[in-house]
Amino acid sequence: MKRPTRILAASSAVAAFALIAAGCSADGAADPDGDVTITFWGSYGNGGNSAQQDVLESTLIPAFEKANPGIQVEYLDVPYDDLLQKLTTSAAGDELPDLVRADLGWVPRFADLGVLVPLSQAMDDFDQLAERTFPGVLSTNLWEGDYYGLPLDTNTRVLISNPDALGTAGASAPPATFEEFEAMADSLDGTGITLFADGGLGAWNLMPWIWSGGGDITDADLTTSSGYLDSAENVATLQMLVDLYQAGQASSGLVGNEGAVSTSEGLPGGQYATILDGPWMTGIWADQFPDFAPVYSPVPAGDGGSISVVGGEDIVLTASSKHQEAAMEFIRFTQSDEFQLALVPTGQLTVIQELGEQQVALDPKLEVFTEQLATARARLAIPNASEVDTILNTELVPAFEGTISVKEALGNAATKIDELLAS
Amino acid sequence: MTISTLATGAAADAVAPAPRPRIRRRRFSATPWLFLLPGFILFAVTVVYPIIQAVQMSLYDWRIIGSATSEFLGLDNYARALGDEHFWLSFGNTVFYLVATIPPQIVLGLVIALLLHARSPIRPLLRVLYYLPVVTSWVVVSLLFRFLFADQGLINWSLGAVGVTAGDTSWLADRWTGMLAISALGVWKGIGWSMMIFLAALQGVPQSLMEAATVDGAGPWQRFRAVTLPAIRSATAFVTIMLVIGAFNVFISVYLMTGGGPAGRTDVLLTYMYQLAFGDLEFGYGAAIAVILTLVVLVLSLVQLRVFRDRDGVTP
Repeated sequence: MKRPTRILAASSAVAAFALIAAGCSADGAADPDGDVTITFWGSYGNGGNSAQQDVLESTLIPAFEKANPGIQVEYLDVPYDDLLQKLTTSAAGDELPDLVRADLGWVPRFADLGVLVPLSQAMDDFDQLAERTFPGVLSTNLWEGDYYGLPLDTNTRVLISNPDALGTAGASAPPATFEEFEAMADSLDGTGITLFADGGLGAWNLMPWIWSGGGDITDADLTTSSGYLDSAENVATLQMLVDLYQAGQASSGLVGNEGAVSTSEGLPGGQYATILDGPWMTGIWADQFPDFAPVYSPVPAGDGGSISVVGGEDIVLTASSKHQEAAMEFIRFTQSDEFQLALVPTGQLTVIQELGEQQVALDPKLEVFTEQLATARARLAIPNASEVDTILNTELVPAFEGTISVKEALGNAATKIDELLAS
Repeated sequence: MTISTLATGAAADAVAPAPRPRIRRRRFSATPWLFLLPGFILFAVTVVYPIIQAVQMSLYDWRIIGSATSEFLGLDNYARALGDEHFWLSFGNTVFYLVATIPPQIVLGLVIALLLHARSPIRPLLRVLYYLPVVTSWVVVSLLFRFLFADQGLINWSLGAVGVTAGDTSWLADRWTGMLAISALGVWKGIGWSMMIFLAALQGVPQSLMEAATVDGAGPWQRFRAVTLPAIRSATAFVTIMLVIGAFNVFISVYLMTGGGPAGRTDVLLTYMYQLAFGDLEFGYGAAIAVILTLVVLVLSLVQLRVFRDRDGVTP
């Protein structure tokens, strides 16, 4: 008994010396007590609304540091619009932090660059953590067979209606199906109210319609888009939007007119009857349109049901991190009930399925979003997903202008996406 | 001119008493080079090195991570640009911007400079007002113009009120009206700058020549053609060359007013390049477009210098 203890003590002393030496010779991230500091970049303070950043910095990080003596977390807030560029240049310069709260669309891109740790290999308890989360948002972390992150927070788009416009259309409830949606366009004809508005034709905008209409953009293995994007279901779905647009019942923002009245202004202003948007709109309107009482309902259902698109952020660990164990400890903390529920009142939806009810109890307005999330799906998890948006925004516009058929436009987009998937 | 003459004079005065100027002339002196060194290092690190790096990147399928190997493509990126429809569309839009913004900036800038050249108690105030757009942030005025040209913006309202149009033009929803709106911003923001250069040049028009022309019976227009224009030729050359370079560098206004939309139809070279590099991580192809842009600007500048120099030879 005695000898092994001594060997252990000796080796731990050596290890401690080695650690201290390493700490001193390295960039000073570890202080002489053996404490480590992990750096964490995110955009919790985005838009000047500091509620989320306050909770993180004054409640959550101190709680983590108290529970894990010896680990300090240094959070750096980066405006969302600058974060991708900062991460790209930092990756090129090998200056990434330990942890990043990354938009879920960026994970495959950075995984493909080789700057992220595959968490499904590095964390023994990855499966237990992963199975608690919503499948749609978890899937955004998958790249070439490994998961490179865990969901941190999520959101989705639901149908938001202006109650006065519903009244004008003689509807007692928001349109629940494609048929009711189209029928409402007829009732609004001549009232000066536009049925639907959106800010583009990217995947974030279009996929709720495509999935709800029973279609998809590629096959499940992400090998081809032809035969999927230009399917009969998608032709019918897009034709509905094109018809609405040509009848003046869909805003020109849909086809990229930056001069169109924005959705956040036009819905409370009464120009638009419905939009698809996320839970953050409540906060935006509370300041500017305090009298506006938006009606939230699921995305209108087509042949595929009511399926929306997943948004949100994942937490990822960088391969250059010198404190991966400590960083993984913080990742575990982000998946705890404590962490997840603390951010709900600030407008962050939890990624843990079983916390759904507690979330709705904390904020009843989130009920529709929570339900929609159960079936919501993720956009293509590929490194060059931004090019898919460019393709959709470019190739589909001629169909709306009536210069080519919907079938042809979808075919053109599918051909371009095929090239992208093959590269 | 005045400053450099003064400086040379002062230097001459300081050196004059020293007994050995002739010996120094023969010996190599490190002093001037040492004075040049800091500026040259700064220039080399911040300008020359990035240019060389961009040229290098343009020959590869450039991977941004240091450890990853970039595939050497030779001139493939350049060939790709020449066959890329969107590159040519962006190029066309840049040329449209150049043609639509430079003549108004030169003509209006000169007209205003001539008007402000006359003595008037409010001249300083007017100069400040005309120069104000130049020093205002591009971001602020781009957003302002986006609202002005919005579907329900002031431009549409005004045109509708006057009855020129029905007031329902979607300016930013079409390639040419969008480019027109972007060009309007370019002209509005740029006039003050060319006016300032012309105003400075007008101070140098020899008064004696003007008086001589008047005595010879020349009217205002003849005096302008025969005396003023030749006297400010070098300023005109400078303004033209700088505006051409500026037009090829148009970015912020396009990025913020239309974002290149709809369907990428108002993209200019720099917005397309930015999207390729930072949106799609195609740094190699983006760098190739940057190099092409540099070459085009270089050639155009040399041609302009030539044109203006030749004319100088004809009319001394």
